[in-house]
Amino acid sequence: MRILIIEDDVEASDAMCRGLSEAGHECATAADGVEGLEAARDGEYDVLVVDRMMPRMDGVTAVETLRREGDQTPVLFLSALGEIEDRVAGLKAGGDDYLVKPYALAELVARVDALARRRETGSVNTVLRVGELEMDLIGRTVHRAGKEIDLQPREFQLLEFLMRHAGQSVTRTMLLEKVWEYHFDPQTNVIDVHISRLRSKIDKGFEKAMLQTVRGAGYRLEA
Amino acid sequence: MRVPALLRTTSFRLTLVFLALFAAGAGALLFYIYVATAGQIIRRAEAEVTRELRTLERSYDRGGFDAVNQAVIERTLADQRYVALLLAPDGRKISGTLEVTPADPPTEVDEWVDFRIQDLAPDGRPIRRSAIGKQVRLPGGELLFVGEEIAEEQQYVMRIVRALWGAGALVLVLALVGGLLLSRRASRYMAGLTSAVTAVRNGDLQARAPLRGTHDEYDELAEGMNDMLDRIERLMGGLRHAGDAIAHDLRSPLTRLRTRLEVAMLEVEAGRGDPTAALEQALEDAEHLLKTFNAVLSISRLQAAGQAPDPVLFDAGELVSDMSELYEPFCEEKGIDYSAEIAPDLQVRGNREFLAQAVANLIDNAVKYTPEGGAVKLRARRRSSGEVEFSVTDTGPGVPEEDRGRIAQRFVRLENSRNAPGAGLGLSLVAAVAEAHGGRLDISEGPGKVGAFGPGLRAAVVIPGVA
Repeated sequence: MRILIIEDDVEASDAMCRGLSEAGHECATAADGVEGLEAARDGEYDVLVVDRMMPRMDGVTAVETLRREGDQTPVLFLSALGEIEDRVAGLKAGGDDYLVKPYALAELVARVDALARRRETGSVNTVLRVGELEMDLIGRTVHRAGKEIDLQPREFQLLEFLMRHAGQSVTRTMLLEKVWEYHFDPQTNVIDVHISRLRSKIDKGFEKAMLQTVRGAGYRLEA
Repeated sequence: MRVPALLRTTSFRLTLVFLALFAAGAGALLFYIYVATAGQIIRRAEAEVTRELRTLERSYDRGGFDAVNQAVIERTLADQRYVALLLAPDGRKISGTLEVTPADPPTEVDEWVDFRIQDLAPDGRPIRRSAIGKQVRLPGGELLFVGEEIAEEQQYVMRIVRALWGAGALVLVLALVGGLLLSRRASRYMAGLTSAVTAVRNGDLQARAPLRGTHDEYDELAEGMNDMLDRIERLMGGLRHAGDAIAHDLRSPLTRLRTRLEVAMLEVEAGRGDPTAALEQALEDAEHLLKTFNAVLSISRLQAAGQAPDPVLFDAGELVSDMSELYEPFCEEKGIDYSAEIAPDLQVRGNREFLAQAVANLIDNAVKYTPEGGAVKLRARRRSSGEVEFSVTDTGPGVPEEDRGRIAQRFVRLENSRNAPGAGLGLSLVAAVAEAHGGRLDISEGPGKVGAFGPGLRAAVVIPGVA
């Protein structure tokens, strides 16, 4: 995937670039809003990572301009402003996700992956398939290698999210945000227990463990 | 020229303005009284003179010149208020009290004339008295002048005018003195405020304006100012405390992180030690630092704002069941008997994320201090007062009563909890969230001591509910 990072803190964007390259992405940087806007117009990028506050043109204005021009490239906003109103303003301007500084690199990579992939699988599927795992979104049933797995509603949502992002790392914060729909920082890793319950349901009795823990990042569902 | 401070005060200036207004008003009143009384006196005199003239003219009509002459002579002899003069057509005096006609020119008729009457006082001094009069020509060509003295009335008017002037002057003096006194009073009130403001400006945040206990507008202002200063001091204190707290709680993990990295580097350079393990440990430390930092930031924002950002109306019961659902497996994993009791219809107005965080922290805190085999109970209900209460009760070791007030303070972790993970910010954040919602964090004893468990702790967030 080609990622454009628009961020005035050059050291930060270098580090991000290295992290994203490690994760297998191709990466370019722009140091302010105007430069970023031009780069975004010229280049074919899969995801834009945009800092909100930058000299010359702030990130929100740049993204608004792009959206007006019909550019639908997924945007991940980075910001030191973490209030909900800021988040809402960022998403309203055309951002697809919002990450508050300071953040963990793993979090950034996971979210960029999620945005990049979302673009590919834009089709409306009623059945999700990841390896042996099959989820029927209408019948609300899950099978692994033909064997039905009984899931609680929340476990179903959790697995759905993991299947939609199969092969990518998803962080605990992302799960809390997207599955439980709360934006806060639990002191203990409550998500882990939910994951281990889900894991015992989908992996128990099978040779291959599909639901894997990614150290320092979160979890990944492998086919 | 330097004006004394007292005379520069607003109240003194106001006094002067009112004084000027008052003086103008009094002057106008005086003028009006003068015009009214003096005019009245002149008009009455004129009416009397006119009547007298008519009487004399009538006697001329009836008895001719002789009758008039007779009447004038009679009137001259009788001691009465009118002066009269009868002149022959050639201007010669025939009879009367005057020697020459005051009319000017002497032949002018039917015009009012102001003149003076020369007289001798009892001590022989000549005195002149004001009078007015009028001359008419009789049908026979003779001139008849009749006048009336108005000196006494005029003196009366002058006395009134003098009295009015005196009263006006007295009022002016009183007003001036009153104004000065009022200004001094106001200045003294203001001096208290000013000295407090000056002290604060010079860095003494503890300075407060004195209250006089009179509950007037000055006291109100002083109270308002003191409240404002209290709030500023609290905020500053909060900031200072946040600074200290950040220094305290971030410095040690940062130092630890740094030391670990240094040791790891030495070990790796020496060819032993596992770089991956060291990096993982460092990452974990950084993660912990981030969490602490975010919590400190949230608390500071809530305290600085003094209210919950982006409040919305929602059912807190749903939020609590979400949190309950989130934490239940975690409790079970730890071997804790978890139960929840959530009443329906708990409408509140607030920030969903912060309240979720608060409930999560309460459960978190309870689970952290409850040993395996213990119990944690989450309850959400509406109090009879209408407030909404979220409480979490555990069967952990609890907190001695004397420490309960302290545990919600920032970064306070009691000695016996030193080894449990956590930044010591959990309950502080809960308290900050509760306060930002106009509520409070109540901490009381749990269910009591049962065997190895207890006495436990009950922590409750109470916020205003929406009916």
